Amino acid sequence: MPETLDTPLRPATPATSPQVGRSEKIRVLSVLVEDGPNTLTKVSGAIRRRGFHVTGISVGPSRKPGLSRITLHVDHGHAEADQVRKQLERLVEVIEVEDVTADELHSRELVIAKVETKAVEALVQRGAKVLSKHNGTTTVEFSGERDEVRDFVAELESHGIVDVIRSGPVVMRRQS
Amino acid sequence: MILEALEREGVEHIFGYPGGANLPIYQHLPEHPRLKHILVRHEQGAAHMADGYARASGRPGVVFATSGPGALNLVTGLCTAYMDSVPMIAITGQVPSTVVGRDAFQESDVIGATSSVTKHSYLVTNIGQLPRVIHEAFHIATTGRPGPVLIDVCRDVQQANADQVTPERLDIPGYRLNGHVDLDGARQAAAALTSAKQPVILSGHGVILSHAESQLQALAEAAVTPVGTTLLGIGGFPVQHPLSLHMTGFMGTGYCLKAVQNADVLMMVGMRVDDRVTAKLAEFAPKVKTFIHVDIDGSEMGKNVRPHIELVADAKAALSAILPHLGEVDPDRRQWLTQIDRWREEHPLRYKHSNGQLQPQDVLIDMYRRANNEAIVVADVGQNQIWAALWWNYDRPGLFINSGGAGTMGFALPAAIGAKFGRPDVPVWCVAGEGGFVMTAQELSVAVEHQLDVKIVLLNNFSLGMVRQFQDDFYGGVRSQVDLTHMPDFVKLAEAYGMPALRVDRFEDIAPSFDAAQRTKGPFLIDFRIDPEANVYPIVPLGKSLNEFWEAPDA
Repeated sequence: MPETLDTPLRPATPATSPQVGRSEKIRVLSVLVEDGPNTLTKVSGAIRRRGFHVTGISVGPSRKPGLSRITLHVDHGHAEADQVRKQLERLVEVIEVEDVTADELHSRELVIAKVETKAVEALVQRGAKVLSKHNGTTTVEFSGERDEVRDFVAELESHGIVDVIRSGPVVMRRQS
Repeated sequence: MILEALEREGVEHIFGYPGGANLPIYQHLPEHPRLKHILVRHEQGAAHMADGYARASGRPGVVFATSGPGALNLVTGLCTAYMDSVPMIAITGQVPSTVVGRDAFQESDVIGATSSVTKHSYLVTNIGQLPRVIHEAFHIATTGRPGPVLIDVCRDVQQANADQVTPERLDIPGYRLNGHVDLDGARQAAAALTSAKQPVILSGHGVILSHAESQLQALAEAAVTPVGTTLLGIGGFPVQHPLSLHMTGFMGTGYCLKAVQNADVLMMVGMRVDDRVTAKLAEFAPKVKTFIHVDIDGSEMGKNVRPHIELVADAKAALSAILPHLGEVDPDRRQWLTQIDRWREEHPLRYKHSNGQLQPQDVLIDMYRRANNEAIVVADVGQNQIWAALWWNYDRPGLFINSGGAGTMGFALPAAIGAKFGRPDVPVWCVAGEGGFVMTAQELSVAVEHQLDVKIVLLNNFSLGMVRQFQDDFYGGVRSQVDLTHMPDFVKLAEAYGMPALRVDRFEDIAPSFDAAQRTKGPFLIDFRIDPEANVYPIVPLGKSLNEFWEAPDA
């Protein structure tokens, strides 16, 4: 049988899920998963298959042995916002999914940058920490909310970056 | 070790194919006479047989395949089962754990290749994991929304010995089963159905999987609400019941589509509400004020249509919870049923009888008269599938098996073989077009080897009929690569496999050919050379709304 309907799926109406913070299409999820060789493939596969897109990710051990914590920023595309959580919950490797998009969060991303030493003063004033100096370049680290990190990197541009690397996000609710 | 575990899970049949990476399992197979192994001719056949077996018997189908190409040949069959929520266990051999990842001979990343078409999958590299994994796999495959589970077992693990430890308790923290029905939701659903002016229920595969057909019928009668079924939901509600709208969707009956498009309350039970059901989504059921959606899989809520009332639960539990809260329906409800009766008269199923060519509907109607709801029909994909869905008046679940979600050509013959192993007490008819039939025709050997009483009804129109119809109607009338004139002589083909067969190209020969098939013990093939221009009607043009269905011209 040939592939059929050429109609793009419209988002079903009306959405009842909580409205989103910064960017309309981005969900922030904190996902507790089994620490196994297949887990990351399964999680990323479920996201890809539904047409979502990961814009930020970090993975690390959780407090419980055998379980890891994945923090995700996901663009849910044309699907309804709650589909990201629901599709991840279907995976047996996934123990718990919290969609924290609408919550008050502590959210941090880390950036490490090599800059020309003469620019360091201004960066330190913004809160950067000096890690090392070598041949006229200085390596600094900075952490903050995604927007702060973005602004920090923008400032780096104006000072001439030698190299820069950014991490994915980690988040924690302000209230438990 | 694997075989003992399968016996403990109550497995009786395995559909499989041996190879380098699962030889240790096959070495010990003869020691387990209670496990009947069916040697297939291609692994895809094994997957469809296990699928048909599961759909017919209600027990999970079990498949064996070796690593690499063997396992990859299962992918289409796994996808077919996954899309239609069929419980299956696939046990694939993998290269020894010591060489995994080194591109060993016949190594492939089976977990990677199958994870989007399985409910869950495991790679077993250590004998200690095996008893737990097998027990979990059966639990996951058969509970909640069923589906295929794949276990990829390294060859060294198959050879290892360990004390048999049956896990006493399952502990799968990431596996959630939705048990409780939200009683508020049930009350709201009952109130919406009671107060509706023009309600419709659509019933899907979930109703059949949860054995909720009597609850559905009780609810439809109490709520005086007509019921249409999806393609996979056929049999969930008797076609000849006065409240039946028969099949919905873009090849559903005209009166069902009229009812859906004019409904003010639409309850969708055990279904995904996919594009074949909605046609143009923006214009699906446009007058509905209250969508009620019942499904065991919470991710179906709002995936395509956002319901106003959602019940994430097993269909039987949900329908049972709604039923006692139904009130007295408005006497005006009569008018709605009268309106639907008018649509029934205006839009009956019909076809062209008399152009001198053999019509597929004539074949199916004679076949239905003989089967009389006592036989299982396994259809392939395409026109044959829709004809078999529409022209039989199925009165209960389990009588119609087809690949609805994946639409896998080549499904019917192996699935019919599997269905016969699962229900040896019931006649099994395989309905297929010649295009799909040749995709898995090698499994004729299995039907002959086991002298299975499977009757094959080939609706042979010398073309890819559904594609040809779409090209004619929706793609500018350009007939491109649909001609199947060069096909084997199917009577000779069947005979080459050792199966008796007949060719029929006249209406008068339908009945005698079925007589011959029914008189013959074991498999039988009839090559019906049908009108090559026969089409499926009604049909909704691609991209159009359900309102815009076309009907058969000059009936």
